[in-house]
Amino acid sequence: MSDVISVELLDSRTAVSEALDESRASTRADFFRKAIVGGGAFAAGGVLIAGLPSIALGQKSASQDQEILNFALLLEYLESEFYVEAVDRGALSGETLEFARVVRDHELAHVEFLRSALGNNARSKPQFDFKGTTSDAGMFRATSVVLEDTGVQAYLGQAPRLRRQTLPAAVSIVSVEARHASWIRRIVGKPDYDGRAANYPAPAVLDSPLTRSQVESRVQSTGFIQG
Amino acid sequence: MTNETLTLEAVDVDGAIRETAEAVAGDTRAGFLAKAGLLSGGAFGGSTLLAFTAEAAQAQSRSDVAILNFALTLEYLEAAFYTEAEEMGALDGELALFNQVVAAHERAHVRGLRSALGSAAVKRPRFDFRGTTESASAFTSTAIALEDTGVQAYSGQAPRIKSDAVLVSAGRILTVEARHAAWIRDIAGQDPAPRAFDRPLTMRQVLAAVAETRFIRPARRRRRRQGGSNTGSGTSPRFTG
Amino acid sequence: MTPGAHAFATGRGGVIAALAALALIAAAALAGAGPARAQQPAVPPQEAAAPPEAAAPQPFVLSRPGKLSRWAFVRRRTAARSRPSASARRVTSLTTRTPEGTDNLVLALERVEVGGRLWVRVRLPILPNNSTGWVRRKDLGVYQSVSTRLVIDTKRFTARLVRRGRTVFRARVGVGEGRWPTPKGEFFVRNRLSGFRDPIYGPLAFGTSARSAVLTDWPAGGFVGIHGTNQPGILPGRVSHGCIRLRNQDIRRLDRRMPVGTPITIR
Repeated sequence: MSDVISVELLDSRTAVSEALDESRASTRADFFRKAIVGGGAFAAGGVLIAGLPSIALGQKSASQDQEILNFALLLEYLESEFYVEAVDRGALSGETLEFARVVRDHELAHVEFLRSALGNNARSKPQFDFKGTTSDAGMFRATSVVLEDTGVQAYLGQAPRLRRQTLPAAVSIVSVEARHASWIRRIVGKPDYDGRAANYPAPAVLDSPLTRSQVESRVQSTGFIQG
Repeated sequence: MTNETLTLEAVDVDGAIRETAEAVAGDTRAGFLAKAGLLSGGAFGGSTLLAFTAEAAQAQSRSDVAILNFALTLEYLEAAFYTEAEEMGALDGELALFNQVVAAHERAHVRGLRSALGSAAVKRPRFDFRGTTESASAFTSTAIALEDTGVQAYSGQAPRIKSDAVLVSAGRILTVEARHAAWIRDIAGQDPAPRAFDRPLTMRQVLAAVAETRFIRPARRRRRRQGGSNTGSGTSPRFTG
Repeated sequence: MTPGAHAFATGRGGVIAALAALALIAAAALAGAGPARAQQPAVPPQEAAAPPEAAAPQPFVLSRPGKLSRWAFVRRRTAARSRPSASARRVTSLTTRTPEGTDNLVLALERVEVGGRLWVRVRLPILPNNSTGWVRRKDLGVYQSVSTRLVIDTKRFTARLVRRGRTVFRARVGVGEGRWPTPKGEFFVRNRLSGFRDPIYGPLAFGTSARSAVLTDWPAGGFVGIHGTNQPGILPGRVSHGCIRLRNQDIRRLDRRMPVGTPITIR
């Protein structure tokens, strides 16, 4: 059963919408003035953290936030359609089926939230071909691990690029994606995970962000998105 | 606040949180940072987590220091809990594996945060886990509470972080805590992901929840007397001699 | 409490209430998606109904003298029982203070969980010597560790302090005369006292959990101490009412190496 979006999140979503809308009403100069006076980091440079790809922050703005949220929406469309189809195909059972149902509902809620925050600027849902991964339990599980881990890494990569006022939305989603990732990894690997840390529900001390283009090429390599 | 050590004051080392946040926007506090020996640019070797560029370190405001110290306090607590559980021999099977893995993660988080904070890091408190590390069932319910609270704590602070580098690091810890939470919940037969959206908590709410556990031992308590002095009393110990 | 949390509650008391509160705060903010998915373990049966020996799980050893031992303060007055059960015979009451006015502490030997409750077998400062009893874990404080062990040989008149298997201190001692023998067995250092007016104890004394089996009318119950002396010439030998006497320079040396809570073996 999908969660009704709480009052708090409704407010957050409204705030995000308004934040995204404001650039349309303002002149460019007004926008810059708001960005500076409003406080918060206005970093023009990149963030270089040892061992990680350089995250080009770009200029934080309402329109960049919109672009980022649309990118998130694409990933949420992908995940939600994958889980919808997997549940419908009927190849899943037991805890895998339960995982698929619960996570489907979560991803659908994420889609609804992002669409509502983006309003008319929400991108449309593309066509997907999941290439049999929704009809086979083992392939479903393996694909889910990749999708959820990638979702975590995508949000981590984009979070510092968002204006802080838009960030709560991403933060409330990314931890849930991480829970999903942990959950499916446990279904696959418990109780001893083959003795390999890479198989653990929490495989590393820290999760690593991916840049947008790294996420895009990972997604493209699945071939799931048609056109 | 009933617990006299774990208060907002304890983590808000110089009142940064209690100032209006807007007043410090853009304030790099370079002088303060220099005095506190806080500058920590570049990588910290090995798997150290919170490496900043020199420019990012310069921008580490007082409120970011307070947020990092808040995170460090929680990580101290988790690391100590899981480490003690390793010694108490009450866990086996996958629960023991969970404990071992997560203990290592939390200890690494402590090292990374201490490294990022340098001399501004709050000291490690002393803990009393009141038997929760000695029973598999008590351990499990405590671990669920600790991990879920950690998720909510990091979620609550993320939008308040000024430095983007600090934000990235906080995010990377947040998702690992969420993985921990889902893992132990699943082991316990609870929903690994109970909601579509995780709810943040404020620093005050988290500190209140932690204080209620009474896991953190008060620092200023009367010292326990394992020894006595009879100076001036004129009497001698009543041993058999 | 949320359904899952309830099944993992381990009993009454402030600790569990606090845990439940913490879980509640966390869970209330996060919960809402439905009940726990799997069947939770049933609430354990009442202790009185189960035959005690059959249900006894394997205890976890907390103290290995000379390697790692653990002691704890007595947090509140409590009963020490013959078995880890609220219905077992009370062996003694543990108080929070010693007769010397220090905070009471006990050596923690083993721990077991029975019916969701944690019990610790502790060494007791009572007669007969070498008594142990089970107390509720919640009535003890945090475990403190020591790696030392004191071994007294009443035939050779020696004291030896061992740390992690290595001897780090040796001295000659005086022990109880034939009619007031120093008791044999396993004990622990309960406190450390200093500043006496009377020089017969030397500069400092360690209180132990050992009791004289004969001087039972002695003030405060006839505890055996380890202390200095103003008669070093009579050491080594059987010289005392049961206490273990060291030359003053030796007790000072021992003091630098032996923390309170150290287990003691007297042979």
